Amino acid sequence: MYRVELLPGSTTHVTPGWTYVPDRGFDPAKAAITPTIGRKRGIRDPGRTDLSSRQTNAIIRHLAELDRENHRDVQIQVPVRQKEPAAPRGTRTKVTSNVRRILQSQKTFRNYLDDEEAAQASTPGATTAATNPASAAAAGAGSGTAAGHRGSIHRITKSSTAATTPSSLRRSSTPVSSRGGDHHHHHRTKKQPSIPPSQPQPQPPSSRASTLPATTPVPIPETTAGSPAPPTDTPTKTEDPEPNTTTLIRSEHDTNPLLRSYLPAPPSERIMQALLAEPPLTYHAARAGPPLAPRRSPRHFCCMCGYWGKIRCKNCHARTCGLACYKVHEDSRCGAFF
Amino acid sequence: MGSAKPRPSGGRASVAKAPTLQALPDKTFIVDNGAYTLKAGYAPEYPPPEDEEKALSACATIPNTIVKTRGNRIYVGSQLNTHVTDWNEMSFRRPVEKGYIVNWEAQKEIWEHSFFDEKTVRSKELRITDPEDTTLVLTEAPNALPVLQKNADEIVMEEWGFGGYYRSLGPPLNAWNELNTVFGDPVVKEADSVVSPRECLLVIDSGYSHTTVTPVYRGQPLQRAIRRLDLGGKHLTNYLKEMVSVRQYNMVDETYIMNEVKEAVCYVSNNFVGDLEQTWKGNRKRDLSDSQEGVAVDYVLPDPNAGKKGFMRPHDPLLNAKKRKGALSGASAEALSEDALVLGNERFTVPEVLFTPSDIGMKQAGIPDIVLQSLSVLPTGLHPAFLANVLVVGGNSLLPGFMERLETELRQLASAECVVRVRCPQDPIRSTWLGASRLATNREELKKVAITRQEYQEYGSSWAGRKFAGA
Repeated sequence: MYRVELLPGSTTHVTPGWTYVPDRGFDPAKAAITPTIGRKRGIRDPGRTDLSSRQTNAIIRHLAELDRENHRDVQIQVPVRQKEPAAPRGTRTKVTSNVRRILQSQKTFRNYLDDEEAAQASTPGATTAATNPASAAAAGAGSGTAAGHRGSIHRITKSSTAATTPSSLRRSSTPVSSRGGDHHHHHRTKKQPSIPPSQPQPQPPSSRASTLPATTPVPIPETTAGSPAPPTDTPTKTEDPEPNTTTLIRSEHDTNPLLRSYLPAPPSERIMQALLAEPPLTYHAARAGPPLAPRRSPRHFCCMCGYWGKIRCKNCHARTCGLACYKVHEDSRCGAFF
Repeated sequence: MGSAKPRPSGGRASVAKAPTLQALPDKTFIVDNGAYTLKAGYAPEYPPPEDEEKALSACATIPNTIVKTRGNRIYVGSQLNTHVTDWNEMSFRRPVEKGYIVNWEAQKEIWEHSFFDEKTVRSKELRITDPEDTTLVLTEAPNALPVLQKNADEIVMEEWGFGGYYRSLGPPLNAWNELNTVFGDPVVKEADSVVSPRECLLVIDSGYSHTTVTPVYRGQPLQRAIRRLDLGGKHLTNYLKEMVSVRQYNMVDETYIMNEVKEAVCYVSNNFVGDLEQTWKGNRKRDLSDSQEGVAVDYVLPDPNAGKKGFMRPHDPLLNAKKRKGALSGASAEALSEDALVLGNERFTVPEVLFTPSDIGMKQAGIPDIVLQSLSVLPTGLHPAFLANVLVVGGNSLLPGFMERLETELRQLASAECVVRVRCPQDPIRSTWLGASRLATNREELKKVAITRQEYQEYGSSWAGRKFAGA
């Protein structure tokens, strides 16, 4: 569960009692026991984070409450079978030791998860080894960092979006031709030297469509119709053996690289195989992170009627919508403070 | 492994040539082992039925629980639907926790009761008479703990001794369904072609314990992109229960009833702010009674003594006044004895947490955001294909308005070049089972992934675990 990790460093000297550890962000698994900020200051007042530790703990308790099957703890025994247990077993012989062990185990999911985490922590090499194939696929998704901790997952998602945007995937059509080997690409690759290097090389929409996965029908009308300047006419266009005959009005802005609409090419079969071969993430690593773009500030609701919680109780941090609800709250539930 | 019983011959194939490889049994039994219900049945013969209804007729939905009524009687599995008349204060024991089979003691009892014990199995079509001649396809939730997977393999192969076995993630099986009609794509009819998976599909499985997002490529999951939101139908029920208990009657022990209430009244709002304004209690004082009518409903609670089930009806703001009047004038006792919950903003603020988990203080993103989080670790070239093929399965997709809201929000978040199509199969609950049954008709594919009893006895459970992990 909660343990203090002493990291060996070159410059730091070990002081008993405290150490610097990297901040891995919010970890719901540990938040219940780890105070968000040190000592007493965080208990009531939100400090560095936007919630005080009391509020955080209350939320964690609430979520645990929502996760329950029954409101109170009940023990429901498996009903005893009337007939002797040997009868339905039929041809089967006696219970193996594995089966007996599993059936008698009363462990909960929480126990299993803790075991798993402890095992992972004791063999740190295992996690990196497990995630190594991920970096094998880095050619496609552009991320090489280990995905062991849930904190780092987020970094991966960010870095990979940044890393995939550069040219390797979307720009040139040549690497993609390995996929289908379709005619457009071969023409394109032959033509390439004739294009002035300064000019961005546009593709007719039809060739972009053909690079999509073949059997999955993806309608792309919006791409062709909605793009601000469909890049159809260039010097190469006229020489194209398969001219695109759609009637689009030409303008001098068609070649403007800023107006081009990209539909990135699908990755090659090799990348797909590498992606498919990856091992599953751990339970914690698969948990979804916080919103990518936290636009709105959190909404608060009245704890009594569910309308907007505009005012905050001065004793506890519960919200109410107005005086009527506040009075009810004060009389009944106030004091169950955070 | 030495403890497994030494049987000279497992199936018919091995009778002829004992030392050769045992073939996979022909019959395939599929169990989609959900936390709330398990979906089970035999897979059809090779050309799978065209008609979805017909294909689903082989699949039974059985509550995956052992319940105790307030009379301290214990019922198992499907008895919940047939034997129980009093749902008050019912408590549940579920073998599946957080989507994974954890307690095999209870799970074994439910399986025995539903599939093996001839006295309690509901119909002959559901009975597994000889596991040795049956291949079992068992689904699991993504990102399971290896220990739990090993437990499942050992129990299946050593306790029941199935002749063949395949443990698969649930969501990817949906790719085997006939989805062209669902997405409105042209149906390509090819005579006696084998069933094959859809090339790109993004499955959102919103079930009882959690909601997962799984990109599926040619029937296989892209593991690095699987994401999970720890909110599911259970949390919605409990949240509604908690709200109602604070505001109206104390319902904290009435999980079953509140689940029924949730299924009857809850919906996903496509105009949250507007709906919330509409249900403001201040409107009542200002006598804007017409605006109230839109959202608020009454739910009449079930009455076990009179043997009546609960039901929803339009809200009657004058109900209490009428009751008082009726009591004076001696109206029917029936109308006086009924208890009703008034549900206003509870109807849409509860499912709202799936889209805005921060409403209950959770630091996870909503479902549309998670879809993008999932895609962000994949090559951008795949995004258009996945966004155009989003399939939602699981019970929560039955909430009215869920699909519209998801499509709207996803459209706003996704890049403008991509087409966004969010669809729901005809039966979102049994869709995974249906996909598995279609996979089972493709013998070649199944042979590639499944293991036989002989192989298990030879190589053991850790080998089986590696094989199912695709390594």
